[in-house]
Amino acid sequence: MIRRAAAACLAALIAVPASAALDLSADALLRDHLWREVRQAPSGRRPRVGLVLSAGSLRGVAHVGVIQALEDAGFPIDLVAGTSMGAVIGSMYAAGMTPKRLRDFATSINVGSGNNLSSSSLISLLLFDKLLSSENTEIMLRKNIGGIRFDQTLKPFACVSMDVYTGEAIIFRDGDVAKAVRASMNLPGIFRPLEYRHRFLVDGGVVDYIPVDAAKLLGAEWTIASVTETDYTTSRPENVLESLLQVIDIRGSYLSREQRKQANFLIEPPVGDIGMFEDHRIVEAIDKGAVIAASRLEAAKESLILASISRLSAGWSAKGAKAE
Amino acid sequence: MRRLALPLALLLLAGPARAWRLWGEPSDKKIRPVQALADARRPAEVLAALTPDFVQTLRGTDLRQAYILKGDSLDHLGRVDEALGVYQLGVKLFPGNVDLLTRQGDLLHRNGLDDQARTLYLKAIVHEPKHFGAHLGLAEIDRRSGFLDRSASHYEAALETLDGRADVWRAYAETLLAQRDWTTGDLAIARAISLDPKNADGHVLTAFARRAQGDMTGALAALDDALALGADAGARRAKALWLVEAGRPAEALAEADRVLKDSPGDGAALWARARAQLLLGRGAEALRDLVPLTTPARADFASRAARGLRDAIAAPAEAR
Repeated sequence: MIRRAAAACLAALIAVPASAALDLSADALLRDHLWREVRQAPSGRRPRVGLVLSAGSLRGVAHVGVIQALEDAGFPIDLVAGTSMGAVIGSMYAAGMTPKRLRDFATSINVGSGNNLSSSSLISLLLFDKLLSSENTEIMLRKNIGGIRFDQTLKPFACVSMDVYTGEAIIFRDGDVAKAVRASMNLPGIFRPLEYRHRFLVDGGVVDYIPVDAAKLLGAEWTIASVTETDYTTSRPENVLESLLQVIDIRGSYLSREQRKQANFLIEPPVGDIGMFEDHRIVEAIDKGAVIAASRLEAAKESLILASISRLSAGWSAKGAKAE
Repeated sequence: MRRLALPLALLLLAGPARAWRLWGEPSDKKIRPVQALADARRPAEVLAALTPDFVQTLRGTDLRQAYILKGDSLDHLGRVDEALGVYQLGVKLFPGNVDLLTRQGDLLHRNGLDDQARTLYLKAIVHEPKHFGAHLGLAEIDRRSGFLDRSASHYEAALETLDGRADVWRAYAETLLAQRDWTTGDLAIARAISLDPKNADGHVLTAFARRAQGDMTGALAALDDALALGADAGARRAKALWLVEAGRPAEALAEADRVLKDSPGDGAALWARARAQLLLGRGAEALRDLVPLTTPARADFASRAARGLRDAIAAPAEAR
């Protein structure tokens, strides 16, 4: 009792900084004022915002943290495009899964999720070149979002795969979501190419690591991309599988140099050191995504506001205000 | 009684170094004069008093307090690196001391090293689950990192001890408002205002809460309350912009002029003026108001936005 009273007295006396007070600077207030206008703008009065989720195998779970931060801030997301793990997370988000459910899903996955990885299948892969099946990816997706089609998602969604015979990037915008996402996540050299719509499909990360083009195809006029690239300079592959993945990552990294320039805003969770098999670091990856997105939020808002002013201002004159 | 005697005897036999746990740490009260200097806010004299020879004569709580006082004094004098070194050494010597852990955490947190600070705060909480300083530090870090729910939980833990601190209630309310938890947020603001009714910040916070819930009349009234209590130019700036949002351009112009009187280049006030002119159908005046903002020398957000608006006004309507 005495101890509690003493603590209370001490607390009242000690100058513990509670937190920075509200930012009432000119820039902060103007940003807040214009952000309100962007959020309340009727259709057509601001650019259509596309969320682009890159490939990145297990590192891609960081997208969940990014989505969580954007949702918490009320960032308007009109459509979603993703490749590989970005397609898995993106499809679920577009289908209406909340960030909390996405987090629950992401924390439940492990190296064996979405495939038939087992000791015997791994031996078959290494000794007899018998590739694994990615069918479990499809099953896992159906379990979470059901058998929905692209035209049934809450937000328009697209994902990218590659035809292994022609090298073409295939952007899926219609048909069965789970099948298309499975194709987008179908790592070459590990999983059998998926035969779908007369094509043999493998992971889209090989040709379209950051699918800004897919978002634009859906009608995005301003894109925010979450990029979960590997830092291959620090990783030392120790077996065939890791070497193959490293090559895919390097190829993806070269590709993304150009694609980065196409996005209007980039968020890059610092997850480059997380390996494909390090599923014990999933929570860390999600948190890193959330932290980096939170730190970039004000800059992202400014970017979208500046891109919206020309359209918003049409309603700011006396005539425009009346018309609304 | 016999059941108690055995563990007590074992504890005493376990080693004299731990025996103090039974009746408290040893202290020769040698630190008291130095503590008096620290209480009198004379950090340079505290450092002069804490010579290595003197520190060597200290033990128990005195020695621990010496590290705290030395670190605090160095920190007060702006010698942050040295303060950090002292706290680090203190934490190594007294790894379970929550005061040293949280002080080192605070220093790191203030300098943006939140990951390291978080680790120290969490260690402090392990030793003292209700340590308000550690919870407050974690609340701020989590809020800055975007983990609003965790931040709110830490504020709640800190408020168990800091119930009488209006600034903590306001910080907690801000987190709740960011989560769009209006009901609890309003209660937290009300508590902050009841504790410190003459502080304008609570009323500014009320204004933001009202506006976020669509009550612009209530928001502007709360801003007026804040201004009556002496709120600074920020509140007036907000009022000018919010009057534009409320579709009251004449009042917005007047409010913006009040801000510009003291701060002629204020980006928000100039913007509010331009927007108010547009609402009044005076495009040429709006462009004129934007001129000070669109000079190439300015690179702040207000000026970038102003350039966008200037171009939009100047462009033919059909080109948009």
